[in-house]
Amino acid sequence: MRQKAFFAVPYALWIILFVVAPLVLIFYQSFFNIDGQFTLGNYANYLTSSVYLKMTVDSVWYAFLITLVTLVISYPTAYVLNRLPNKQFWLLLVILPTWINLLLKTYAFIGLFSQAGTINQFLRFVGLGSHQLLFTDASFMFVAAYIEIPFMVLPIFNSLAEINPSLINASKDLGANDWQTFTKVIWPLSLPGVKAGIQAVFIPSLSLFMITRLIGGNRVITLGTAIEEHFLTTQNWGMGSTIGVILILAMFIVMAVTGDRRKKKGGVRR
Amino acid sequence: MEFHHVERRFGDNVVLKDIDFAIEAGKFYTLLGPSGSGKTTILRLIAGFNSPTSGEIDFDGKRINDVPANRRQVNTVFQDYALFPHMNVAENVAFGLQIKGVGKQETAKRVKEALHLVQLDGYGEREITEMSGGQRQRVAIARALVNRPKLLLLDEALSALDHKLRVEMQTELRQLQRQLGITFIFVTHDQEEALAMSDQIMIINDGTIQQSGTPVDIYDEPLNHFVADFIGESNIVPGIMKADYLVTIDGQDFECVDAGMRPNERVEVVIRPEDLDITTVEKGQLAVTVDTQLFRGVDYQITAHDQRNHEWKINSIHKTTVGATVGLAFDPEDIHVMRYNESEEDFDARLDSYEEDE
Amino acid sequence: MSKKHFSWGKVYLALVFIILYAPIVYLVVFSFSAGKTMEKYHGFSFQHYADLFADSRMITIVINTMIVALLASLIATIVGTMGALLIKGSHRKWRNALLSLNNVLMVSPDVIIGASFLIFFTMLGVRLGFASVLLSHIAFCIPIVVLMVLPKLNELSPTLVDAAYDLGASRWQSLSRVVLPAIAPGIFAGYFMALTYSLDDFAVTFFVTGNGFSTLSVEIYSRARQGINLEINALSTLMFIVSLLLVIGYYFISKHAGRRNRIVTVKEGDAQ
Repeated sequence: MRQKAFFAVPYALWIILFVVAPLVLIFYQSFFNIDGQFTLGNYANYLTSSVYLKMTVDSVWYAFLITLVTLVISYPTAYVLNRLPNKQFWLLLVILPTWINLLLKTYAFIGLFSQAGTINQFLRFVGLGSHQLLFTDASFMFVAAYIEIPFMVLPIFNSLAEINPSLINASKDLGANDWQTFTKVIWPLSLPGVKAGIQAVFIPSLSLFMITRLIGGNRVITLGTAIEEHFLTTQNWGMGSTIGVILILAMFIVMAVTGDRRKKKGGVRR
Repeated sequence: MEFHHVERRFGDNVVLKDIDFAIEAGKFYTLLGPSGSGKTTILRLIAGFNSPTSGEIDFDGKRINDVPANRRQVNTVFQDYALFPHMNVAENVAFGLQIKGVGKQETAKRVKEALHLVQLDGYGEREITEMSGGQRQRVAIARALVNRPKLLLLDEALSALDHKLRVEMQTELRQLQRQLGITFIFVTHDQEEALAMSDQIMIINDGTIQQSGTPVDIYDEPLNHFVADFIGESNIVPGIMKADYLVTIDGQDFECVDAGMRPNERVEVVIRPEDLDITTVEKGQLAVTVDTQLFRGVDYQITAHDQRNHEWKINSIHKTTVGATVGLAFDPEDIHVMRYNESEEDFDARLDSYEEDE
Repeated sequence: MSKKHFSWGKVYLALVFIILYAPIVYLVVFSFSAGKTMEKYHGFSFQHYADLFADSRMITIVINTMIVALLASLIATIVGTMGALLIKGSHRKWRNALLSLNNVLMVSPDVIIGASFLIFFTMLGVRLGFASVLLSHIAFCIPIVVLMVLPKLNELSPTLVDAAYDLGASRWQSLSRVVLPAIAPGIFAGYFMALTYSLDDFAVTFFVTGNGFSTLSVEIYSRARQGINLEINALSTLMFIVSLLLVIGYYFISKHAGRRNRIVTVKEGDAQ
């Protein structure tokens, strides 16, 4: 019994101090205005301000687009990857870029996308002329998708790899062609991976602020950017916390939507 | 379904060499062999998951080497059942019909029939995870049969079941096959299963068909050492064929029923353990000393050795004593003589030649 | 089924790999350029590496970052392993609650973690700097370690611990001689993952770091906002090499772990 308590203390302390307390605090803080007085004004402000509402809608819309782009690129990647010999090695190569500091990868795109950068040099070379690439919505989404691709490929790859190959044989044996086998067997069975991937990409995409600053050039304001601004620039912690609470709500909604509702069918592995 | 000189290689590895056979409609065939013998490869060639490296596979007189699996009138019951985990029982069974575009009502009707056939009435809405191993097996069979295939392939289909359930399913499968008149091709490494269920058995080893025939033929007249050893238990001892109907084992002459060999040809002699009777030394043709005795319920399994240290396996319903010297008695019909390296055709021809004489 | 033929799948994959690696290659190539921008290659030079090693502020920050990462992942590994043992040993209904709490920091966006920690430290009166950064890194590394260790604990055959008791081991001996060695691959993997999370973190650190203290990510952010500086390229090349070595280390460990798992799972299978 004593041994159990010995294990329990540090971990329980961590849960209380660093999991529960901060969440409670951010909720608590959201009820105070910039002068430290208790108020519901932050929520009223948020719900009535067209700026905040538009920002939320934009943020969700961009996160949706980023997730969609990432999914469209990642699913075929995971699918092809899964059919290669030495697939674990190739998967490792997909994951390797995630081990490189996020800031460095973003920094690389500043150089690539700049007015005189490599992409524009290439565009001029093929006769398309140079364009403003940096500080555009498209470049913001591209870099965000670039960073998220491995996090989408991994869960999809895993769920594809888990599919028993004899299920695919069975499908063909029962008369299905390749496309029918894909839509009726492979896709439904890989859905848990797709959902996990969406979760892993959508939530961070809502809260990105570093990429919006460096690549998006403050054109795109996400929920994350707004929180950062309120906390570190305008010092209006109450409003920042309010947006934080909204972000947490959004997170729960995403998890509820992508969560495995059909638990009964979840753990099938034969 | 016919195979003509089919060969299959994986890289340099020859898995099947010169496979040649024809399958008659409406019979129960079994491909029997140890693991790695190539029997599953034959099944995959029939199903269309692989194509032969050389040779020809015909179906209804048409070459089907390159017809993909989804366009063959062949369905498979997989070893691990391969039931779709995201569909319930009825959806699994309906899969093949939906692919073919069979109408909703017709599909529902045929699914119901198929589930009835495998005694799973009312299980349609169950999830696969809720089904036991034996029930999953039945779903897999129903899913294949509902398509009304001309040929049903069963790949080690019973190997995941426990012994009792397996014996039950053997009987059921056999009945199902008779009832429907569909050709079944069953792959197994279990010789008892093969003997119990089949009209025809093909024994596969090292990528070739060693012998094919009815269970009784194969059991009573194994072609070579491998078959004799693989099917049932056997005592195999070297001998010399002195003349027709006379074989010598260790210098002792025995009357037998085999003929058609060269005088003094070296042969192998097979005697099944259940054909050996234990008697007194005087009455027996052979004297042996009992080494071990195991009670197996129906009989005793006894091992013994003779003066020249050949080991003998005996199955006897009577008890004996370990260490005792006893006599072994057997009839001429119990002796089966095998020639070295005789092909199946030569074997059949030789049998015909002297059986006609009688 | 796939043969050595040309296939669109492979072309597509090659394209994805080019996109994934282009920025990294680009950074590395220009780190050796004699020029000052990432626009035109000006011939081979180690100039930026020399600048980097002469930049004492940068060197200090690299060392700070390393200290934070190594310390945070070490402490997180110890606490996280204890947490995993606690979760494994706790009652069924508690287990799910604990796991959910454990995963809160895994799924929370970085800004939320950063902002809430900032409020937390300010309320407690912790001065922003090394201490707050270290505590935050420990905090967000713990759940990672738990998630890496827990599957290894679950894979462990229950008869293994029974066998240890049966052979006369005390609770502590069965833990230190049987359980910990068996889950060691998970613990190492957890440590490596924690290390990379800590090294990679930007958002949380950005919130809780004060004026005096900086980590690499934060420093790169502020320099990148000022524009291109090829010293960063030199730094990224070095960091890429370090990451590569870490990956190789991690790969080796997880391969080793795989082999060990198999033995444990096979035993489990036999028991059934």
